[in-house]
Amino acid sequence: MSTSKAPPGHFKILYFGPAENHTRKGSENLPAPLPIGKLFSTLEEKYGGIKANLLESCLITVNLEYVDLPEDENEEGIMIQEGDEVAIIPPVSSG
Amino acid sequence: MAKELQEGNCYVALTHDHLDSTSMINRVRSPKAGAIVLFAGTTRDNFAGKPVKELQYTSYEPRALQTMLAICKSVLENHSLTSIAIIHRLGVVPIGEESILITVSSPHRQAAWRAGEEALEECKAKVEVWKKEEFGGEEGGVWRANRDGAVGVRIDGDKEDKPAPGPHGPILRPKVLGERGHGPVVHLNSQQNGS
Repeated sequence: MSTSKAPPGHFKILYFGPAENHTRKGSENLPAPLPIGKLFSTLEEKYGGIKANLLESCLITVNLEYVDLPEDENEEGIMIQEGDEVAIIPPVSSG
Repeated sequence: MAKELQEGNCYVALTHDHLDSTSMINRVRSPKAGAIVLFAGTTRDNFAGKPVKELQYTSYEPRALQTMLAICKSVLENHSLTSIAIIHRLGVVPIGEESILITVSSPHRQAAWRAGEEALEECKAKVEVWKKEEFGGEEGGVWRANRDGAVGVRIDGDKEDKPAPGPHGPILRPKVLGERGHGPVVHLNSQQNGS
């Protein structure tokens, strides 16, 4: 995982554990702003099957804080801003 | 080098080095404490009978440290502890070595036992660390999930107990403190007896 910030007009997204397996990368930069409600469909376009196989069991953080995804697919929810750090948090397996 | 956070009588750390139980005991040692409980989680050589060659842990480190600290503060308060410390190892951990150490100190032993257990269960439910089990051979590694049924990538042939998924798949929100699928944690003996 690199610690560099996203370039202008982008946010950084981090993939951990099984998420990294799915995307074959630890992180990448995606265009910002992006409504959080569109995050899963954006990722599904890039990584077919990721939504059903992985994302639906994941939580999301924005700048280290857990955020709620809108329940209704038509709602956009909070806006991911340029420079934000978003992370896909699969079910944990610490210990 | 360990990454660590310290606040009041709470200490948390993530490290790629071997874990040292003596130093973790010393972190919570206090003249106010009559008991120190140490929990050491060690890496097992099999998963459901299948031999495991080694384990590998990765983490969202800044997020995991915050979660560990929040768990410490909550457990410290719930059990009126003197002090609490948690360290988790990352990277490759060979079989039989410690992957997590939790130490708690308290005036009396009952609170220390209970707090140690609660801290561990909370860690396993919430701390942003992921474990991959390497089985060796052609199969490659499998990401594990602590939640029953919330298996990582794929588990060939393993029939694990899966809870019935809700209308939106398994429920995967971080658990509320004390919520472990067996009802709330009941503190049977909240008065402190002499240790």
